[in-house]
Amino acid sequence: MRRRRAAGVLRHAVLVAWVLVVLFPVFWMVLTSFKDAGDWVSWPARWAPFVDFEPTLLNYRQIFYIGGTTQSGELRREAAEQAYVIWKGVADSVVIVTIASVASLLLGSALAYAISRFRTGGRNYPYTILTIRMLPPIVVAIPMLIYYTTIPELFESLLGVRVEFFDTYYGLVLLYIVTTLPYVIWMMLAFIDEVPRELEDAARLMGAGRLATLRKVVFPLVASGMMVTLLFVFILNWSEFLLALTLSQPKVLTLPVLLNKFQSAVEGRLYGPQAAIGTVVTIPVVIFGFLIQKHLVKGFSFGMIRR
Amino acid sequence: MPFLLTIYISLLRWRLTLGFWTAAPWGGFTNFADALTDEGFLYAVLRTFVFAACAVAFELLIGFGLALLTYRESRGRRFYLTVFLIPMMIIPVVVGYDFSMLLVDTGPLNSVLSVLTGQDVRIRWMSDYRAAQVAVVIADIWQWTPLTFLIFVSGLSALPPEPIKAARVMGATRWQVFRHVQLPLLKPVIVIAVVIRAMEALKIFDMPMLLTQGGPGNATETLSIFLWRNAWGFNKISYAAAASLLVLALFSGVIFLSIWLLKRERAQLEEVRA
Repeated sequence: MRRRRAAGVLRHAVLVAWVLVVLFPVFWMVLTSFKDAGDWVSWPARWAPFVDFEPTLLNYRQIFYIGGTTQSGELRREAAEQAYVIWKGVADSVVIVTIASVASLLLGSALAYAISRFRTGGRNYPYTILTIRMLPPIVVAIPMLIYYTTIPELFESLLGVRVEFFDTYYGLVLLYIVTTLPYVIWMMLAFIDEVPRELEDAARLMGAGRLATLRKVVFPLVASGMMVTLLFVFILNWSEFLLALTLSQPKVLTLPVLLNKFQSAVEGRLYGPQAAIGTVVTIPVVIFGFLIQKHLVKGFSFGMIRR
Repeated sequence: MPFLLTIYISLLRWRLTLGFWTAAPWGGFTNFADALTDEGFLYAVLRTFVFAACAVAFELLIGFGLALLTYRESRGRRFYLTVFLIPMMIIPVVVGYDFSMLLVDTGPLNSVLSVLTGQDVRIRWMSDYRAAQVAVVIADIWQWTPLTFLIFVSGLSALPPEPIKAARVMGATRWQVFRHVQLPLLKPVIVIAVVIRAMEALKIFDMPMLLTQGGPGNATETLSIFLWRNAWGFNKISYAAAASLLVLALFSGVIFLSIWLLKRERAQLEEVRA
């Protein structure tokens, strides 16, 4: 009995230690976001707000231009421009990522259904699809760059219309659909495989058409799975960096690229504002995560684990 | 089709500064020869594999350990699960920011180390050759251990309870149950975790790019960064295309291996279920 208790204490000690490891960087980021310039990198590090340093909202103001940062007109305009760029980055990201994720989910679910029910493409098809995901994005990015510079020329010489892919919304949306499709198919395959075929057959026998069966029987059963997949893909796209960095800029800026720019454009590192931006863009995703946490455990089996 | 074009481009000597690629001079196989004799490229390959191996090994061990401690229903389980998954949800760029704050030589990591060791630790995490490599691996472990943890938790909690109970009834100790019943049943899950993480780790780009831009020198220049630098930094698109085709060839090996593993495990699973 005593030994078991000791084991329990040890177990919690290990887990709490990892909790600290996980939370510490987050804590530090939030802490830094409330620090003024002098306190970012001082040695010894400043830990306690109000004791070690005076917390300030300056960083948040600077980013989102809440009433401007200074009295001087020049700086005021600069801050407004910066805030505008950041908000545009947020808007770009939201639009591109939402459209790409939803499209990828719909297309991928349809494909997964076909694969699950009719073995479309043969048994190896899902594996072939997965290989796309295994390639380093940079290897995809180079041919894509060539594609994106070639297609407009081709269109122009053949049809006389110029369709630009580079640095456009749909250019990036298309890329994101292609890169996330394999995961959608794999995850949805697992959920759809779980829907018993007999249920569908029964519905068909009762006179429901194929579409009605899909809508009334299959869809409700996989809806929660679709939700998980959507959020997973959303997270993937939301944080995608390399493709956005290489294939769209400067007109279309997603958040990760913008954040990176913010880092290299200004001399020295503006830890405070960076921390503030980081805190702000992290909050929604973490809330999402809390909401789907229960389903995540199930969604991550990639069709290999079933009860 | 994109790949055919890439192959063609890789045979040219095209730079973005030359305008459209039809204007580029013919280069034959020189790009491939250059890449194969380029020390920078070969070291980048080696470095990428070493990075991936270190990071994935730690992620698997820590993830598995944590999963073992939390997969059963117990007090605080929900809390631990939720907290452990946080790093995965944070944008890599933000993680990059975050770690660059933690790793400045007057940063909190060094002060924690100072307190723990009783000495004044001042590791220059981002400008020292070795330390930068360690830093990238640490950041990767922090961000991606949640994924292996998640895969293992879902695997462990989906194990059928009967064989475990049977073994317990027959007087097996906890360790024996783990070693001879749970571990073999878990093999497919472990394979998935390895494959998925290795796949992603070999592509490593964000973390070294954000923390050190591949530096100091080329300490953290992984394959992705090498290619990126050549294509967009030096504008040598043809050269990057050739090198990326070589990478493609190299990765096909890895991909075939992992698919073969996945298939084998899946077939076994289906056999067990049937």
